[in-house]
Amino acid sequence: MAQAVTPSLQTSSPGLRVEVGEIDRKLGELWSASEAGKVRASLVNLVVYSEAPDAIEENTSLLAGIAADHAFRALLVQADPGAGKNDVEAWITAHCHMRGAGGMKEICSEQITFRLDGPAAERLPNIVFSHLDSDLPLCFWWQGQLHPQPAPQLWTRVDRLIVDSQSWVQPAPQFAILREIEALSGGHCAVCDLNWTRIFHLRYAIAQIFDNPAAREKLPRLESVEIRYLYGHRLTALELLGWIASRLGWHLEQDGKKQFFRRRDGGETAFVLREEKEASSAVAAVEFRFPGAAASARRAESGDFYIVEFAHGSDVAVSQMLPAGREKISDILLSELGRVGRHPLFWPSIRAIEPLL
Amino acid sequence: MNKENDNPFRNGLVNRAVAEPCTLVIFGATGDLTRRKLIPALYNLAADGNLPSGLAVVCFARRDKTSEGFREELGEAARKYSRRPVNDELWARFAANIFYHRSSFDDPVGYVSLGKELEALDTRLGTRGNHLFYLASSPTEFDIILENLRSSGLSHAKPGSWARIIVEKPFGTDLPSAHRLNEAVAAAFPERDTFRIDHYLGKETAQNLIVLRFANTVFEALWNHRYVENVQITASEPLGVEARAGYYEKSGALRDMVQNHLLQLLCLTAMEPPTDLSADAVRDEKVKVLRALRPLTGKTVEENVVRAQYTGGFINGRDEPGYREEPGVAPDSMTDTYVALRLHIDNWRWAGVPFFVRVGKRLPKSGTEIAIQFRPTPPVLFNRESQLQDANALVIRIQPDEGISFRMAAKMPGALLQIEPVKMDFHYGTSFGKPTPEAYERLLLDAMSGDATLFARRDEVEHAWRFIDGIRAAWDDGAAPRLDFYPAGTWGPREADDLLAQDGAVWRRL
Repeated sequence: MAQAVTPSLQTSSPGLRVEVGEIDRKLGELWSASEAGKVRASLVNLVVYSEAPDAIEENTSLLAGIAADHAFRALLVQADPGAGKNDVEAWITAHCHMRGAGGMKEICSEQITFRLDGPAAERLPNIVFSHLDSDLPLCFWWQGQLHPQPAPQLWTRVDRLIVDSQSWVQPAPQFAILREIEALSGGHCAVCDLNWTRIFHLRYAIAQIFDNPAAREKLPRLESVEIRYLYGHRLTALELLGWIASRLGWHLEQDGKKQFFRRRDGGETAFVLREEKEASSAVAAVEFRFPGAAASARRAESGDFYIVEFAHGSDVAVSQMLPAGREKISDILLSELGRVGRHPLFWPSIRAIEPLL
Repeated sequence: MNKENDNPFRNGLVNRAVAEPCTLVIFGATGDLTRRKLIPALYNLAADGNLPSGLAVVCFARRDKTSEGFREELGEAARKYSRRPVNDELWARFAANIFYHRSSFDDPVGYVSLGKELEALDTRLGTRGNHLFYLASSPTEFDIILENLRSSGLSHAKPGSWARIIVEKPFGTDLPSAHRLNEAVAAAFPERDTFRIDHYLGKETAQNLIVLRFANTVFEALWNHRYVENVQITASEPLGVEARAGYYEKSGALRDMVQNHLLQLLCLTAMEPPTDLSADAVRDEKVKVLRALRPLTGKTVEENVVRAQYTGGFINGRDEPGYREEPGVAPDSMTDTYVALRLHIDNWRWAGVPFFVRVGKRLPKSGTEIAIQFRPTPPVLFNRESQLQDANALVIRIQPDEGISFRMAAKMPGALLQIEPVKMDFHYGTSFGKPTPEAYERLLLDAMSGDATLFARRDEVEHAWRFIDGIRAAWDDGAAPRLDFYPAGTWGPREADDLLAQDGAVWRRL
């Protein structure tokens, strides 16, 4: 029989197989049978939905890793709507970590795993709502492509929908569905794109450059922006460009084949998105050029920090290291879960680069 | 200056004031505080990306050192005391802007050269003429440093810049000395630029106390004399006087802990909701609590205060000497290593509710907490035989193992109707994996941002001393109370238990 309460080691096993109608009872048994000193903790209901064939193993490993930093009740759902059978399978497990004063307490997060095959995949709202930890917020991480025609009964009750646009093949229609879900929920459901979270530290680093008055003074006459990004992260780079453009009030224009941003003062700002096969991170560097000055934010060699600089002529006015954050998907998810509130700058940033999607 | 408005990229990124570029000048920088607390705190702020792009640290001290040598010393200290591992590349960049300035505190020439150094740094690092002075020296040096800052013009900021001062505790040893110190500070810096550090206020749980009270419906409705039987504030530590006998002999527990930390906690517990979260709105409410504290003088000191000293005993498997046998302590010392007080706040909310405060050294375990002991239910139905210690209690643990617990009654399973107290427990460490920043990180950041909410205001400090001086005067007059004794490793003298017994209460068991 698979082990149900896992120690602090990461595991990919979904745990103990149970009948769907028996989940609550089996969870109760699991806790009463586990050793004394284990503490069940939860800050959030985290639903992880995927249609990838190996999603259960991969996501179980990921959840085991983040449980140490953000206690949850996880509902891990792997669906195969096109399967020839109509079946629901379920497993339960818990991820435990030593914590507390002196590291003497074992803190555990629960995971309930479902495999939904064929028409059973349509039971998703019921599967989710039947197994939530009451009163806790509901975060729904939808991995991969969103389905057209989203189900209102689901999204009106979700507090936070997490997606990762980096995985989208056709971003424009996916963003449209995302907007539709937000509208369906009456604004209740906050939309969080992990691609947006991925550039949080870079946005922070860029902001730090322009705290310097000399750098800020140059902003209205920004001549060009160049973003270097890792192969496969064009949308990450675009979201960053959209943020810069929306914060500065630019509009995208086209003159023949040439695309540029029209600044508030009527001037033009060029932009270059340079894909690199071996960049050190999703977005490796951003360079700003002004008349007689330049600013940049780039990953340090160690990878843990960005180095930001602003120089006019030969004078370096800003040179600082700032945290870059980690790029593993589990770290980005943790960063998102640790944040409260909405992302008011997200949609304006997407709008600013919409024609480029 | 509000950079949110100026820097278009700041908006939406952080919801707190941003630290402004500045030079931090630490007076007495060769002391323990700089090595153990300030530099590790600054490094951690840098690692979190919370420091401004222009920041320099000038270490002002008497000893003969070079900047290079002192950076190395501080690097070792950061590696030892930082809450996170030190990244060599980041440390090298951070340390490059640390400078050693050798001068005695009473030499005006040293301040003139400091001024020139600060000007050069302003130009070179873009610190914009913003200067944050930190008094980390012995308190006996505060006056001369302040006088020299004033006479050299360093305390006077240029237009568009600021000059601020951080004052480490103790803020005086009594009301007259606190008043003198405050006058000296005020002669050099306006109150809005004065930041008196009480590191208890930088602790996460102390800040959470306001959130608990004013962001939840249930607690505030019960937070008054109608529902609260008593409030107990405890700060206990198993340590003895260690190497601080010289200081402790003069201060004792009352001055060392009650005047600042415990009265601050009492204020946060008892204050009315502030009109907003600005520094002055919060501090206005705290001052009102101090003004409403019923003064203890003469005979009332005997009735409401227990002072005691530890004798030899046994803690954590070791025999420990009595206080009078500690190195540097007078064999006939009358210094208080333990104080218990019964306080009353004479206002509408708290009329008749005793606030029991105790602090002591060489107690069985370490812990600081605030316990709200609610009134028992009427003695009918289930409660005919229940005792006060079974009534609801809300406990806010400040340290260690920060968290909140609530005790309530529950039926034991079975055919018998048997009621037992059970505890709901919230631990920060259990729910939030995120490490808690050190108090100094938050406080340094706030001082750089100009947010004085977590710092003591002049009137707070003076009101607190006025209250403490009344007790000290009674002790010094010999009016009362006598000095009691308790063996090291116990929860204080019997007289402290008697103090609560008069109100039908008992100390909470930690």
